[in-house]
Amino acid sequence: MAQTRPVTIPSSEYLEVGPRRSRRARVRNLALIAGRNKLGAIGLVLVVIVLFTALFSPFLQRYDDARVFQTANPNFNPTASPIEIAANPGIGSPTILDRWERPFTSKHWFGTDQYGRDIYARIVVGARLAVIIGIGASAIAVLIGTAVGLISAYFGGKIDLVTQRFVDSIQAFPGLVLLMLIVSVRDQPSLTLTVLALGFLGFASSVRIVRSSVLSVSQSMYVEAARSYGAGHARLMLRHILPNILAAVVVIFSISIGLYILAEASLSFLGLGPADQTTWGKMVNSGRFAIDLHPWESLFSGAAITLAVLGFNLAGDALRDEMDPRLRGR
Amino acid sequence: MTNYIIRRLLLNVLVLWFVASLVFVATNALPGDYAARRVASTLDMTDQTAAIEYARHELGLDKPLWRQYLNFMGDLATGDLGKSYETGRSTWSELGDRVPTTLELGVLIVFVSFAVGIPIGMVSAIKQNAASDYILRAVAIFGVAMPVFFVALLLSLAVIKLSLFEIDIVGDPHLWSEPVSAGKLYVIPAIAGGISGGAGIMRILRSQMLEVMRQDYIRTARAKGIADSGVWVRHALKNAMLPVLTVMGLTIGTIVGGQIILENMFNINGVGRFLFDKLNSRDFPPFQGTVLLIAAVIVTVNLVVDLAYAWLDPRIRYS
Repeated sequence: MAQTRPVTIPSSEYLEVGPRRSRRARVRNLALIAGRNKLGAIGLVLVVIVLFTALFSPFLQRYDDARVFQTANPNFNPTASPIEIAANPGIGSPTILDRWERPFTSKHWFGTDQYGRDIYARIVVGARLAVIIGIGASAIAVLIGTAVGLISAYFGGKIDLVTQRFVDSIQAFPGLVLLMLIVSVRDQPSLTLTVLALGFLGFASSVRIVRSSVLSVSQSMYVEAARSYGAGHARLMLRHILPNILAAVVVIFSISIGLYILAEASLSFLGLGPADQTTWGKMVNSGRFAIDLHPWESLFSGAAITLAVLGFNLAGDALRDEMDPRLRGR
Repeated sequence: MTNYIIRRLLLNVLVLWFVASLVFVATNALPGDYAARRVASTLDMTDQTAAIEYARHELGLDKPLWRQYLNFMGDLATGDLGKSYETGRSTWSELGDRVPTTLELGVLIVFVSFAVGIPIGMVSAIKQNAASDYILRAVAIFGVAMPVFFVALLLSLAVIKLSLFEIDIVGDPHLWSEPVSAGKLYVIPAIAGGISGGAGIMRILRSQMLEVMRQDYIRTARAKGIADSGVWVRHALKNAMLPVLTVMGLTIGTIVGGQIILENMFNINGVGRFLFDKLNSRDFPPFQGTVLLIAAVIVTVNLVVDLAYAWLDPRIRYS
């Protein structure tokens, strides 16, 4: 659309890019950015925590996330007849589930859920899922989006028209409906299917941004020059245009990770998340039916989603401001 | 301008045809159809093949796929959104029961978004880098990062723990017929949805306000002796609102998604829950029709926003 956007002029302390920089200079530069962009620094810390948890979850989770904790039933009577058990159900089973244990004890840091599973272990495992889904979906969206956007904008004409209408029609869907539809292709959606669905949804918006970047780059002198000495389509696209839109691509990638984590949480919350996996969205959902008496499962998992998304959003925003401030507000 | 509108309308028709085809292909790719589900739920483990075949024939699901597609498109062209397999009622009449509810909630969500986002965005920009700015921005950043269902859950928890009110609702109350129980039903989802939307509005409005406040005409307005509040509202806010409008147009899809979640969570009998239920029971005609209707609303709103843009900012010309 004919939308004019004022160009933000980089501040004077803009990141200096020189040829060879010593490691100390690079560290100092990073510290400079962190000092200037405090929110970004907070985001980076959160992202590092989430990535660390995801990477080392087997060592951090303390218990298996599916392990059901139970204690011996002191009232268990092995010789009780069925009639006696019916009259007094407390004596029928040799063990009792440790349901809804309180949090902040040395045994269960975050307490247990309704089946007696350790909530801390499940949160740690959920971090791995969130990272796989967020980064996986974003990578797919950006890879396909860049390829399609590049070709669509470079060749223009009919290809461009058809591609853009296709993108329009994906964007005319409410995102969640499209996700629900794709994920339902299997009765039990797998993790791969969830990641693919999210990537497909995100591909539309990355095509948009890549396309507009390519359109402005392909007008430049150096592309014209390369064309004049006989560079082919592939060479023009890959060697001359692609490197110059890479900043935008990296920004789209990092800025949308949080969105995918959020979208997956919504799907899981609706019961359409990846089957047989422990995700934060599912935990919020299963905890909410006992929210009045035992709110801990929902509270911890909801807080985990919020902090992870917050971290990826803030870090992504900071990266965008450093790399390409013109993408602000897209 | 007229040419532009006509071209956009034609393109929208093309987009809607794409959407309809996508929904048709996608729903037919799903495992299990309504006939199988209905038969499986009524008969036990006896031989169901004949019963399924009969039900398929009855619903027209045994026709070749291209026939079904042509029928579907033909119905759409005449404004027929199909009939529910389950109830036999037309999609339009099913939606007639639910659209008012969804609109009520949707309007409330948009209202809360603006009521939260605009004042906070303005204050935050005017008091840039003051303590209040940092606090408000922190709130907004959290608002964007929190899933809407988590906000709703926290609000419900607060209502329960502080015993603010009892949620004792029977049926589907409307704001105009039973305002008290409708208010109880809608207050938590409306605030939860509004916080998510308002946080987004606040962030854009703040950056736009900061941009606008540096312009020369703001200095001129000040030099003329206009009071601060006048400068902020009449000169700065008006110009900063344009991008906010565009973004609101684009976030309609998000609001619809939020409504699916909130309506399911709070058992509100609206379009979002209808869509979810119909997908789960594989009752496709109403599902397809509803998705198409929502898509039509979204593309129309985007067109209206673009036109409003040109009307609000005469420098923008479409050709």
